[in-house]
Amino acid sequence: MPKILIVDDDFLIRNLLKQILEPFEEKGVKLFVADNGIVAIDKVKSENPDIIFLDVMMPKMNGFEVCNILKNDLEMKKTYIIMLTAKGQELDKQKAVGMGADFYITKPFNINEIIRKVSEVLNINLS
Amino acid sequence: MIVSKLFKKTLFIIIVLFGVIAFTIAVSSGWNLYNDLIQEYKSKGTSIAKSIAGSSVETLLNRDASTVQAMIDQFLEIIGVSYVFVVDAQGEIISHTFVPSVPDEIMNIKEEKTKSVTRIQDLRLEGKGDFIDISAPILEGAIGFVHVGMDKGIIMSQMQSAMIRQLYLLLIIFLLSISMAYIFVNKISQPLNKLTEYSKKLAAHDFSSAVDIRSNDEIGLLATTMKSMATDLHEVFDRYEQAINDAIVELQNTLAYLTAVIDNMADGLLVTDIDGTITHVNPALSSMFALRETDMIGKNCKDIFDPLLAELVEKTRKFTNEIFTTEIGLAGNRVGKAVTTGIHKDTFQSDDKGVGSVILVRDITSEKEVDRMKTDFISTVSHELRTPLTSVRGFTEIIKKKLEEDIFSQFDTNSDRKTVTAIKRVKDNLEIILSEGERLTELINDVLDISKLEAGKVEWKMGKIHISDIIDRALSATSALFEQKKLEFIKVIEEGLPEIIGDKDRLIQVVINLLSNSVKFTDKGFVTCRVKRTAHEVLVSIIDTGIGISDADKMKVFEKFRQAGDTLTEKPTGTGLGLSICRQIVEFHSGKIWVDSELGKGSIFTFSLPFSVTEDVTLEKTYIHSPSEQ
Repeated sequence: MPKILIVDDDFLIRNLLKQILEPFEEKGVKLFVADNGIVAIDKVKSENPDIIFLDVMMPKMNGFEVCNILKNDLEMKKTYIIMLTAKGQELDKQKAVGMGADFYITKPFNINEIIRKVSEVLNINLS
Repeated sequence: MIVSKLFKKTLFIIIVLFGVIAFTIAVSSGWNLYNDLIQEYKSKGTSIAKSIAGSSVETLLNRDASTVQAMIDQFLEIIGVSYVFVVDAQGEIISHTFVPSVPDEIMNIKEEKTKSVTRIQDLRLEGKGDFIDISAPILEGAIGFVHVGMDKGIIMSQMQSAMIRQLYLLLIIFLLSISMAYIFVNKISQPLNKLTEYSKKLAAHDFSSAVDIRSNDEIGLLATTMKSMATDLHEVFDRYEQAINDAIVELQNTLAYLTAVIDNMADGLLVTDIDGTITHVNPALSSMFALRETDMIGKNCKDIFDPLLAELVEKTRKFTNEIFTTEIGLAGNRVGKAVTTGIHKDTFQSDDKGVGSVILVRDITSEKEVDRMKTDFISTVSHELRTPLTSVRGFTEIIKKKLEEDIFSQFDTNSDRKTVTAIKRVKDNLEIILSEGERLTELINDVLDISKLEAGKVEWKMGKIHISDIIDRALSATSALFEQKKLEFIKVIEEGLPEIIGDKDRLIQVVINLLSNSVKFTDKGFVTCRVKRTAHEVLVSIIDTGIGISDADKMKVFEKFRQAGDTLTEKPTGTGLGLSICRQIVEFHSGKIWVDSELGKGSIFTFSLPFSVTEDVTLEKTYIHSPSEQ
């Protein structure tokens, strides 16, 4: 069963992503959420998701740190990491790639782009 | 008794002089005396002899020898007469006064043939001495001769004693005159000594001493002159002393003032010599680095401070006329900025070597803090604005999707007019929300962009770029717009354009902006991009056949939030910041951007990029503008 973990400290963004990914839920994908980096890592350990949507600006531990930890862990590094960055933060894009993120999208999202990417990674066709 | 040197000199002269005089006098008077005495004796002897000769004629004729004897004996009493004897014409001694007998020499006297003249001759008698023998003829020699012998010895002894007396006298006079000379010379040398003492005191700058010489002669004159000279010197010295004191006071004041200035400076001052040895620090610098002044003076700055500072000193050693800066860490986790320049003597020689460096350190911790806060603010704003916007747009899109897929599909086109109108209205409004959401996003992006550009917080990625490359990339990014409006794009690029140093992405951003503007305001025709070069720059022009810009608007288009167009009837498009951003980017590259336009005909937007910009200048700019994360 494919799993997607959504990590963002903003309730509405989490909600939005869940709604965007609803079509995949109908196809059997399970969605999980976490509101900070520490919980996120726990969830990754326990649920072993295929994709993580990872926000950058979070309290306690920011997205880069989480990404770094995940990529350095033998078991967890296979997870596909999509980082959510604010546009214009050039440094963030570079950092994301440097930290080992697999993809990044900027807020505000392009919904079609998200759907396309998830389909690609999970190999699920929605239409 | 201090014998003055002068006296010694005079003494010598006196002695010599006196000696000569005394000797001369002695000799000459001795000689005179001798001659006189000889003369006297000779005449005495002669008269005695003559007298005897005269008075003994008869006696001798009578052959009265005893009378003759008696006569001649009495003449022995006369002083000087040593002997008398008479000889006859044959030369036989008749009578004499010799005791005991007639000396041999007498016997041998030959008589003078000239008989009428007295003869005087010197005679020496063995054992008796020297005599003057005077012989007078008796009766012209017919009877005989009288010989009178005058004792030279007496003359000698008289002369001797006279000379001795004279010498004694001279000696006394000599001693007297020496004493007088001594006194007299002393009278001269004493004041001279006083004057010597006086001038020594003057030489030692003791102007208070006095000398008491009042004689009316040259020495007195010398004393007077020296006294007035002393007064003059005293005055001069006083004046100079005063001037020096004044100068010292002035220097001290200036020094105190400068020291006060340096000590009260808020910036730290560090002065080193040509090798980097620290010569001067001020209190501000001490507290900045939390080091004591005594711990720094005399040490080399590379032993105490960050190597960056020592590097600065090195640089000023090589280029004494240039200013170099660096950021440097201060005590207490503070940050400072050091500016240094070389010190050199004000000579006109071409090999003007520096004598050291002056370093000014300013605490820029607060500045950097403010800077950091600006950066943080920008990124926080960026995040905070985008988050709700993400929700707004995202959920609206989902609404639209749900409505279209699940709700509106329930209603087919055969529903009543009211429903159809309502559905259309809902769809249209949703579109408005979405497109405004998009515009809001662009606006936020542009506002953040322009504020970063203006605050100098942009990280420029400078590199070598080809203009044609940039044009192509911009074109491909805007190709959709061209297609949408069915406009043609023409590219005219000059051959052999040089490489420019610049930020590729940002320049693409500029061209995209200009192209999208052109497409936006052009309904038919084409958009041309022309690139050409001049002597020191590349000119890029975007030419369109659109609606053009009025003269009034031409001034405003590059300003923030100014848009051309009629706001009464048209929906605002774009953010109003695009051209401002373009200007910031172009001007960072030391270029210019401007517009030529004619209403109804079209517009030409041109920007220039100089290519004589050297690598160093751009790196310098990079340094200034990049954030200080090290």
